This record gives sequence, C-alpha cells and structure tokens, in this order.
Amino acid sequence: MKLRHKSDVEKIETQMAPMIDVVFQLLIFFMLTLKILAPEGDFNINMPIGQAQADPNSEPQDFIKVRLLANPDGSLQQVQLGRAPLGNDARVFDRLNGEIAGMVRRDASGFNDDIEVEIDFDYGLHYRNVIRAISACTGRIDPNTKEPITLVDKIKFAKPRPPDGDGG
Amino acid sequence: MRIKPSQPNVVDLDMTPMIDIVFQLIAFFMIVTNFEQTQADERVKLPADELARPPIAPREQELYINVGFLRDKEGNITDPTPYVFSKEGAMTAQAYGAELQMEARVAQAKKIDPKTITVVIRADGDTPGGVVQELIKLAQEHGFEKFSLKAKTKALDQ
Repeated sequence: MKLRHKSDVEKIETQMAPMIDVVFQLLIFFMLTLKILAPEGDFNINMPIGQAQADPNSEPQDFIKVRLLANPDGSLQQVQLGRAPLGNDARVFDRLNGEIAGMVRRDASGFNDDIEVEIDFDYGLHYRNVIRAISACTGRIDPNTKEPITLVDKIKFAKPRPPDGDGG
Repeated sequence: MRIKPSQPNVVDLDMTPMIDIVFQLIAFFMIVTNFEQTQADERVKLPADELARPPIAPREQELYINVGFLRDKEGNITDPTPYVFSKEGAMTAQAYGAELQMEARVAQAKKIDPKTITVVIRADGDTPGGVVQELIKLAQEHGFEKFSLKAKTKALDQ
C-alpha cells in the first residue's frame, strides 16, 4: 500500500471582523450604562410599633438620652447627654462618643446588648447632625484595625417635637 | 538582467493584542456595572459617615423613601420645602402618608407582613430631622416596624 506523505492541510482563516464588531458594541454598551455611585451604608433604628415613643418632657427612663438642640437655621446649637451639656463645637460628637463608651463600659463587664440610646432632637435640626449623633452613639472606628467597634445596637428616636416647639 | 516577479504587499495585522485589551475592558465594565435597580434619587444629597456600612446580608423586602429638596442643575436648592420623591412625583411628607398606606395594602395583598419590610429612608443632609421622624411615624401607623437610615460611606482618611 502506498501511503501518502503529503497531507493537504488547509489553513482556515477565521473571520475576525464580525467578532470585533460585536465586542466593540458590547464595550460601548457597558461604557454608556456605567453609572458610578458612591457607596452607601445604613444605620438601623429600633422603632417597634408597640413601644410608645417617650414623651420628650417626661423624666429620663433607664436608657441613655441624647438631646440635640437646633438653632433657627437648622444648625446644631447644643448636644446634651442626659442633662449634661456637651457643647456644639466640631469635636462634640467625639465627646459624645467617648461618654457613651464610658457609660457602656460602666454599665456591664463588657459591651452588652441591653443598653439603649434615645435620641431626641428639635424638628428643624439638619438631618446630617442626627446621623452624626447616631454614629457617635453606635460606635467608633478602631484607630489600629480601622474596623468599626459597636458600642450600642439599639437606637431609637424620641417622640417628634412640633415644628414650632424648638429649643425646649 | 533577471526580473523578480512582483508579489502583492499584504500587511497582516496582528489583532490578538487588541482583542485581549478589548476583552479586558469588557470584563472590567461588566464587573463595575451595577445592574441592580437602585432606588436612589440624585436630588438627595446624603450625609456622609465613617460608620455607615452596607448591610451584611441583603434584605428581602425594602421600601425606599427619598426625601430632599428640589434643586437646579447646579445643585442649589430652589424650594426650601422638603419633599418626598416618589413615582407619583414630589410630595410633602404628610401627603406621602397615602402612598405608605397603598404600599402597606399592596404588601398585604401579596401576603407580605409590612412588619417584615424595611423602610429605608434616604434623606438629604439639609432636611429637617423632624420630617424624617414624621415619615417614620406615618410608616408606623401603616404597620411598618423596621427602619434604616441611609448615609454615604465616608472614607476613613477624609
């Protein structure tokens, strides 16, 4: 038998043009639909229906009470922890955080889940101050690990104050 | 003199590196593209905080409420009244009570307990805090119990 040594190898040339077309279309689609959003985070607040919101003028209950007073323009006038004024400067929320950390430590051998913070603020206070207060009560960032440390898990709002009753 | 037969001068472009790069770009855009239907309203300028972290586990049911101000193209507030931005347009917090009632009814019709739905409030940093409280109160009246306040995640070095 005679073997053929010469094999007829046909070089198949793939058509790259359609693939490149589609790939570019995909690239343009993804480039146009890309929407860069800033990452967002949450603060959970504890507002069950059965639990009546405390009257702002009532005596302090067995939870930590933080009071935020507003100026007429909505800026922060004063932060009070219980009845103690903490001021309204740039470091006031750091002081609040330190006080809360101290109270949480004194209340138990370690951090516990039973401590609750009630934030009572004037109607007109800018929401960013409320968030800063919630953050100061919730915890802090560990300077070494850069990880958040939770101080208080349960945060609630006091009964809403009327719009005209600010400053009380 | 011997004349060489002329050969067609075909330049064969090597497409491989270009295709590699284009595929890499596509992969990059596919990864960074957020296909989720975000319910964020661009008019709402959220306050920023270092401790604001995304939830560890995704929530099953969420109801987003966007509260902010009407702004012009430069982002300046054109109307000092805070509005809730919904599918029906901009409305005051009090007027949004009817929407909340509708949401609660729709949830009940779908056999979903409003208590299990997390009401996520995205409020502008300049919004009066009392408006947020009003919304929480209205939501409570219609059976919602879980609330979450959104803030932008602030970088630690800021």
